[in-house]
Amino acid sequence: MLEGLIKNYLISNAGVDPAKFDNPELQVSDLELDSLGLIEMLFEVEDQFGFQIVEPMRYLTLSFEEMVADIEAAVRDHDAGQSPTHDATKAND
Amino acid sequence: MNKVLITGLGVICPLGADKHSSFASALAARSSIGPAPADIASRLPHVLVAPAAVDPEALLDKKYSGLDRATQFALVAAHEAMTDAGITTPPTDATRFGVFVGIGFGGAQTVDGLYTRFFSLLHDPTQAHKNPAVMHPLSVPRMMANAAAATVSMRYGLQGQSSTYSIACASSAVAIGDAFRAIRHGYLDAAVVIGTEAMLTAGSLMAWNALRVMAKPDPADPARSCRPFALDRTGFVLGEGAAALVMESQARAAIRRPAVLAEMGGYGCSSDAEHLTAPSVVGQVSAMRQALAEAHLVPQQVQYLNAHGTATEAGDVIETQSIRTVFGRSADRLAVSSTKALHGHLIGAGGALEFVLSIMAMNSGSLPPTAHLEKPDPRCDLDFVPLQARHGCHVEAVMSNSFAFGGSNASLLARRHVP
Repeated sequence: MLEGLIKNYLISNAGVDPAKFDNPELQVSDLELDSLGLIEMLFEVEDQFGFQIVEPMRYLTLSFEEMVADIEAAVRDHDAGQSPTHDATKAND
Repeated sequence: MNKVLITGLGVICPLGADKHSSFASALAARSSIGPAPADIASRLPHVLVAPAAVDPEALLDKKYSGLDRATQFALVAAHEAMTDAGITTPPTDATRFGVFVGIGFGGAQTVDGLYTRFFSLLHDPTQAHKNPAVMHPLSVPRMMANAAAATVSMRYGLQGQSSTYSIACASSAVAIGDAFRAIRHGYLDAAVVIGTEAMLTAGSLMAWNALRVMAKPDPADPARSCRPFALDRTGFVLGEGAAALVMESQARAAIRRPAVLAEMGGYGCSSDAEHLTAPSVVGQVSAMRQALAEAHLVPQQVQYLNAHGTATEAGDVIETQSIRTVFGRSADRLAVSSTKALHGHLIGAGGALEFVLSIMAMNSGSLPPTAHLEKPDPRCDLDFVPLQARHGCHVEAVMSNSFAFGGSNASLLARRHVP
């Protein structure tokens, strides 16, 4: 799952408190990433799926859930309708 | 004009992971030169390298793990020098504290990584769904030449001038010289100066190999392949690492009272304006004479000189002539050595590393040798401290030469500090 990949990255590389993800209303702005931090996070997905996500700065005003859904849609588009099947346990391979 | 003192030194290089182990290896003539790793040797079977004694990433906080290797080396060397100088938190006079960095090829590891990633994705059928043009978003800030200066400035909260010098083999010698001038003339009160280089990559070694200046492997012992001033020299070996110095004005030091390691004596720099790679006596002599004049020293007051000494024929012979021209009758009483036989040529980091080793030689009275100098070239007829270190020497002042491709020459002079 993409959500697992992104969470793993944020917790282990960007120092985000894991407890934040218990909040269903979590906003991307609550992650306290600056513009570089945001694109570094997106690279985890881009690297895995081999395409560049467009207009990343729009995520700064979305909820975490909305951002994940949007990225999933972008991956589906890129993979011609296939749902992302990334295994989060391999996120740090 | 302000007197400028050196109050901290740091090293990570092929000879060791800190200044003391590096200097000890230099005195013991322990060479760190060897064959290139398998991925490089598969294309360049004769290329030799002098890799750093430790991986800098292993010594750093995880937050620095993605940075270019040259920046990582810079952080390690700067940390030792700043700790040595007793500076662990952002200084209260941060706006008067600068960062000067010398580097020959900024971001070599990052650039090579981009190409490797691009071509491996391009040619891997199992990765055909991936666009090879998608790169890490921080590739640019990691590869920019001033990445090390930026990172060090942020790490220590240093808000004065931060400048990066890229003058090939003279990069960090010029960085030291210009930091010295900035403090001497009152633009800054302190600076950390770093020379760093990390270009033992396949791409850069292929390029260096094409220039025909690299040493051929010694058939009996690859570690002995770089032989400056010797008749059987075959060229130099690329090394990697960093060295750092903390400099401050005497007035600043008088308040802080750190241990003073040396006084910056003088600095000279010149350009040959002749040939892209061939050295010139006129340019080298000019740099050395400027350094002596600024220090108000006559040649016989300098007892040790760390030569540029790359083990190329033109380089060794011309430098010998230049030293003879500058030092005249006292040339025969001057101890000269090239430590590149042991740590290789660190290009942008070379000037700083060799100046640090020179200061340690002055303070310890032990002079590192020119290793592997069993068959001296008769055209190189100075006292090159062959084969073995010399101990118990009284040294008042030391000089270090760095002469770059492009015709840039720099000479640095340090002297004992008399409180």
